[in-house]
Amino acid sequence: MRGDSNRWLELFLLTRVVAALVGSVLVGVTAVSAREVALIGACLAYAAVSCVAFAKVEPLQRSKAAWVADALGGFALIIASETWRSPFYLLAVTALVLPATTLPFRRAIVWGGAFSLVYFVVGVLTTLEANTIESAVRLETVTTRLLTPWLVAVALAYAQRLLDRLGEERERSERLAVQTERQRIAWELHDSAKQRVHAAHLVLTMVRDRVGQREGPLLDQALDQLSAATGDMATSVAELREPLDGRPLEQIVAHRAQELAGATRARIDVNGKAPALPPLVAAHATRIAGEALTNAVRHAGARHIEVRLDGDPDTLRIIVRDDGQGLPDELRPGSNGLRSMRERAATIGGRLDVAAGESGGTVVALEVPLARALQEA
Amino acid sequence: MIRLVIVDDHPALRAGLSAVLRAEPGLVPLGAASDAAELEPLLARTRPDLVVLDYHLPGEDGLQVCRRLKRMVPAPAVLLYSAYADGSLAIPAVLAGADGLVHKGAPAQELYEAIRSVARGDKVLPPVGAEHRQQAARALDERDMPILGMLLEGTPPAEAASTLRLDGRGFSQRVDGMIERLRVEIPAA
Repeated sequence: MRGDSNRWLELFLLTRVVAALVGSVLVGVTAVSAREVALIGACLAYAAVSCVAFAKVEPLQRSKAAWVADALGGFALIIASETWRSPFYLLAVTALVLPATTLPFRRAIVWGGAFSLVYFVVGVLTTLEANTIESAVRLETVTTRLLTPWLVAVALAYAQRLLDRLGEERERSERLAVQTERQRIAWELHDSAKQRVHAAHLVLTMVRDRVGQREGPLLDQALDQLSAATGDMATSVAELREPLDGRPLEQIVAHRAQELAGATRARIDVNGKAPALPPLVAAHATRIAGEALTNAVRHAGARHIEVRLDGDPDTLRIIVRDDGQGLPDELRPGSNGLRSMRERAATIGGRLDVAAGESGGTVVALEVPLARALQEA
Repeated sequence: MIRLVIVDDHPALRAGLSAVLRAEPGLVPLGAASDAAELEPLLARTRPDLVVLDYHLPGEDGLQVCRRLKRMVPAPAVLLYSAYADGSLAIPAVLAGADGLVHKGAPAQELYEAIRSVARGDKVLPPVGAEHRQQAARALDERDMPILGMLLEGTPPAEAASTLRLDGRGFSQRVDGMIERLRVEIPAA
């Protein structure tokens, strides 16, 4: 989770500026000759340039080369000050803030260790000698200075890891809450609303035959609407239980084709790409394509089934073509698959054409104008 | 005259269904229950010829209730009445011994026909596609497949049991296990 990078950048800038000021003051209090002035100048320039560079150029914050260059700048100042107990020591250590919080935990620890090692080399290059060990006070100072960079790196990396975990935990509980809510809505839709609509539909079908000729078509309209409503609810329930989550249509259809592949000898090809779709259109189009595919597998006895998705930002087109036995003269009794496909198509303002293929088989074509669907969504 | 009871957990559907069935000559709704516990005393009191049974019930689901109804002597005919009545529910329905499976969106006329057929002793089940057989085969044990095959072909359970040299209880346990395993495959709604 790199959302905290700004926070760590602030820490970097703050410590870098403070350390530069501390370094300058430490150099200044001992003596002020041309050499000290040059050192202070170099220190402030280094701090200013590094702060501006990291703050303004975002990719640098995650660039290993930039971190190395930054650390080398700090070490160069230590070497220039000609003592391992350099006033610029803290300044150099601040070069650890960004790598320690950006790298994965283990690698951050290694980075800190490497920094300590380089510091030791720099110390040897300047004034760290073997007899240092003989003085307990000096030995303690050396040890502290050697270990501080590593400890800083560990502490920062540990803090970052805790933040990451916290973020993951929060994400998980949010996801869980959304899921629970979806389940609840699905239950309400299915357990109550849908049952009521079924009841109303059933009661109305009973009186259908007793209604006069003038009102009959009206009642049929109402019945169709009620059927479509239960279809909508079924789609919503399925969508709530198994959200499409913005997956592209071709991927879902390909997945369905794979599921069906085991039940048929036909070869199923899914070609093309669907344009971006509003959620309701995507949900219905998915079910229509799935139903057409299932029909082809179940009833057509086809050898080859092709699903073709295409269209432009204004139109979605799906064609399911098989080379099977074609449409039966009379549709199977009790099959409301085709009807529900048409109803779904109408719901999203689309048109569904079912026709015989040029060389046998069946072609199911769906076309949905998207501009209107988008406005209504 | 077909004497029947209704089991559905939703009051609106219970009321609608009772009214629709009462309006049809020859059908006599004797009462309605909202779950398995309510059904028990209703059965004892009315001894119906047929039970119209919702698949989704709180607690014990329609398939389990159907199994128990079919163990009664004499067993009433059972018509499963579900908002999901395609081939994937047909297989567990057959296993549970249901005589019919009707979609809740079916018009009243179709429901009347189904009730009359089932009361006559016929089966009213949607076609079971190859896809659903495959799905069931994946969920089930290899050794359960002969049972599934025979029951789907309409072999009476007692005959299927003797073919496989199983006693009634062993057979019944196997079928219970199969229904349990297939339940995961049914959309939970």
